[in-house]
Amino acid sequence: MDSLEDVLARLATSPSSSYHAGGENASEPASLAALALLAHGRGAAAQARLDWLADLQSPDGSVGIDAKQSTPGWPTGLAVLAWQAAQDSPSRSDRYATAIERGVNWMLQMQGVSIERGDWSGHDTSLRGWSWVEGTHSWLEPTAMNLLALEHTGHGAHPRAQEAGRMLHDRLLPSGGCNYGNTVVFGQELRAHLQPSGMCLLALSGSSERTPRIETSIGYLQRALNDKTTTDSHCYALLGLAAWQLVPAGADRWLSTAAQRVLTRDAASYKLALLALAAMGRDCPLIPPSRRLGVASPMQKGI
Amino acid sequence: MDRRTLLIGGGAALAGLVAWPLVRRAMQMTAPVFVARNQRYDGPLERTIRDGLIATGLDPARLAGKTVLLKPNLVEPSRYSPQMTTNPAVIVAAAEVFRGWGARVLVGEGPGHMRDTEMALAESGVQEALDDTRLDFADLNYSQVGWIDNGGRASKLPGFYFPQQVVEADLIVSLPKMKTHHWVGYTGALKNLYGVIPGIKYGWPKNVLHYAGIPQTIFDINATLPKTIAIVDGIVAMEGDGPIMGSAKPMGLLVIGTNSTAVDATQGRIMGFDPQRISYLKLAADRLGPVEDRCIEQRGERWQDVASKFSLIDAPHLRDLRDSGALVT
Repeated sequence: MDSLEDVLARLATSPSSSYHAGGENASEPASLAALALLAHGRGAAAQARLDWLADLQSPDGSVGIDAKQSTPGWPTGLAVLAWQAAQDSPSRSDRYATAIERGVNWMLQMQGVSIERGDWSGHDTSLRGWSWVEGTHSWLEPTAMNLLALEHTGHGAHPRAQEAGRMLHDRLLPSGGCNYGNTVVFGQELRAHLQPSGMCLLALSGSSERTPRIETSIGYLQRALNDKTTTDSHCYALLGLAAWQLVPAGADRWLSTAAQRVLTRDAASYKLALLALAAMGRDCPLIPPSRRLGVASPMQKGI
Repeated sequence: MDRRTLLIGGGAALAGLVAWPLVRRAMQMTAPVFVARNQRYDGPLERTIRDGLIATGLDPARLAGKTVLLKPNLVEPSRYSPQMTTNPAVIVAAAEVFRGWGARVLVGEGPGHMRDTEMALAESGVQEALDDTRLDFADLNYSQVGWIDNGGRASKLPGFYFPQQVVEADLIVSLPKMKTHHWVGYTGALKNLYGVIPGIKYGWPKNVLHYAGIPQTIFDINATLPKTIAIVDGIVAMEGDGPIMGSAKPMGLLVIGTNSTAVDATQGRIMGFDPQRISYLKLAADRLGPVEDRCIEQRGERWQDVASKFSLIDAPHLRDLRDSGALVT
């Protein structure tokens, strides 16, 4: 990616880790920024984000969406990923070991609400993943985030991680890719979108074999990416493919174009961090360790 | 009790029975709704919207210097399904009307099913329109939030977190698409305000609202945000499996009003529904606005002259929403 140094410089010096320029610090952009900075060898710049996230952690182990909103706790998995990356970095810091443990414990205690399967629904509503908000149904993206966190912290064989893998696999659309969470409603298959599809394939890469349904979803990502794809979707789609050892021919050009657009328009930490992570391709620290190291995970025979 | 007492009492009761509906009718809300036909996305929409708002009681002089938030429906945009989302031409025309009246105009949306708001704007064609007309956009899914106590209390939710742009707006203009909805029959101005609820607090989809009851939370959100009016994009509408997967139904209509409940009721009649059988309108009736036809003063076209039955999916919970109680085509 041509502008990677510019992206990292802007990310490192950004006054806040926010979704939009001028916005306030938020947990998701802070976690992704810390991950990106650590992965690109800028640990010092990541430190403040990691500490800020640790300060945000509630007594129950959850991490809320920002300093003012301690709930919902859906960013907890992302914060755990960032802390774990610090622990895995060359400095081998155990500074966040307690935060990681408390975050994982919170995740393992939380679960989405199972609902009775009706004729209207195409997905298995009994499978438990994680919800966006406590007391609601399991949805694809928070489940993917938390499954990644469990994989990276050595809990990939935990029954909750295995069930989450089954849930994500069940939410793959018959024609490939993922909607935000539903698959078929009232007999009609929903549309796939790049961001949840990429996130789902990324999370499944640590635990699933390359099943026909995953193959179909990989095919969707490969077909759907183009010059008009927007930044967030581009980044997650490329990460979803990279996790399965695939790098489209246009990836570098797409990311360079997206980086130019972000740098000249919004330059928000959220997008800068995603660009920096996607630019790492197969070496991105979000990719489950078992996939990056080529080691079969205990779950890869499971689905 | 003697016969005379009985007669007096009975007479009073009878008088009461006769009189009460009159009293009740007098107490009921009334509101005007403007319907415009033969509308096109490349036509003079600005003039139609201006005429419609003035005809339904909006005073332009009171908008100078005020902040107006335009809330289109961009729930899950796809360039292959433009009938799902508010057309950019309607957004731009509405913006120009309010700008012309001296208001500061902001477009805001929190797409219900997509986290990538940039993608939602691109797929819907709205980003290009925003750029061309230099309109500001507020991503309501990721904004800072403020709390407002639930003004409706039909659901158990004690209040709502709203994005600061919503809290600070002097007027919110709901710009829905005229669409069927596979859970509640149809969706219009009231349901469109689900999109002001921030995903970062309520999820994608905003599942907290579903668990608290869809009709109840539609009512509660609107009861909590009183400064709202409506401009419905019914030029190319959606029928069948709405609000996402339905097919296009060209109608050529704009439905406009300063009372969103009255607008929704009129929209429903146009679509072939009995709005008094729509769950959220039952809650809203005479609390947020009028639903009965005789309490809604029609301006512009008569709804009867533009009505066209919208098809619906065949599901048990939707089979009693028509005038006849009969079905669904």
